[in-house]
Amino acid sequence: MSSYTVRDWVTIGLFGALWGAVEIVLGSYLHVIFPSQANTFLTGVLLGGIGVAVALTGRHFAPNKGSLFFIGVVTAILKLLSPSGAKAGPIVAILIEGALMEAVLWITRTERQWAFALAGALAVSWNLPHKFIMMRIMFGKDIVEVYTKMVRDGSQMLGLDVSAAWLILAILLLVRLIIGAIGGWSAWKLGSAVAHRLGQQKLAANETGR
Amino acid sequence: MLTAALFEGWRLAGLALVELAFGLAWSREGLHILRRPRFWTFVLSAAALGPFLVGEPDVLWGPFHLSREGLAAGLEMAGRAFTLMLAFGLGITELSLSNVTALFDRLGLRGLGFAVALAMNLLSTLREMATVTWQTIRLRGGMRRPLVSLRLFLITVIANTLGYGDEVVNAATVRAFDPNEGQPSSLPLRQADLWLAAALVVCSGLLLAL
Repeated sequence: MSSYTVRDWVTIGLFGALWGAVEIVLGSYLHVIFPSQANTFLTGVLLGGIGVAVALTGRHFAPNKGSLFFIGVVTAILKLLSPSGAKAGPIVAILIEGALMEAVLWITRTERQWAFALAGALAVSWNLPHKFIMMRIMFGKDIVEVYTKMVRDGSQMLGLDVSAAWLILAILLLVRLIIGAIGGWSAWKLGSAVAHRLGQQKLAANETGR
Repeated sequence: MLTAALFEGWRLAGLALVELAFGLAWSREGLHILRRPRFWTFVLSAAALGPFLVGEPDVLWGPFHLSREGLAAGLEMAGRAFTLMLAFGLGITELSLSNVTALFDRLGLRGLGFAVALAMNLLSTLREMATVTWQTIRLRGGMRRPLVSLRLFLITVIANTLGYGDEVVNAATVRAFDPNEGQPSSLPLRQADLWLAAALVVCSGLLLAL
């Protein structure tokens, strides 16, 4: 942690707040519309996609090892302390998504666009096993029951027959991977655009002698 | 199935009673969760959906085909959700921002505590920044090109947030704040902490044995 400067911690706090704001405002709204017992596919994918995009944009400005995980920790604490956020599921999901993004960038040992896309894809794909684990913990459901419900919901959503269970699960995973990859890809572009804009602002400030 | 549900029900009822007693004795504020309609909607929906979603329908009740197995499973799910959410609620009532910051400081993660506090204080500012940016874009006729407006909105909000971060960094530097300096304050262990740790070890052992 000694490599972290005040600016790094401030950046982690800022992007944790941005992700936290998305989780608290949009998350609470979506969880009211789609309660946990209903199909949470859309909620998870949407929040996951936006969350990874925000966190990975933050990595652009705090390129230290572990910063993504810490952004996740800050977001999870904000969610925990928010009036509507006393739910274990989203907090566990945020922490694991942060850890997964960090792990991907640590393993690939590069900060390029494809690595950001891969990190985003893996983080959002966590939603699939997350459902199994949290349903087991919260409601004591076994894996077969969760699997059956997921396939039934998926078949209704995709208009496929229930017998094509593996295809349904594969499509659900693929959609998560694609949304996550788009989130990571957008984060790279967004980070570059913001850096460009901040560079222009600094240049303008220097020219006017401020 | 019924025997298993009854056995699980007794265990859950016992746990819920322990939690309620704990709440009445030490954390009455934590019991406020029981007054929230959303809490009861969440818990009761698990019980209500069980007979429709789990098991084969074997009872006809008016226009509904219900499953007794599903009813037992639904009640068990509701019980688990009740005890877990109550325990979580009781736990976080005692958690405050200053506690979190102090905890990170004691763990030698002063910077992370600083980031969490910053993020918490930033939330209201962030809302104001987002509103002002959105209104500015809207008044300039940005709604005619939604995608370009969205991109501009995101870039502006993130750039303004980073600009706010610069002010925080300057303020922290002026106050000679260094996240890597200073000894973390020691964590005093009292007799009550040791009793609590021993009780947790015994409870964990019992749960694993059962």
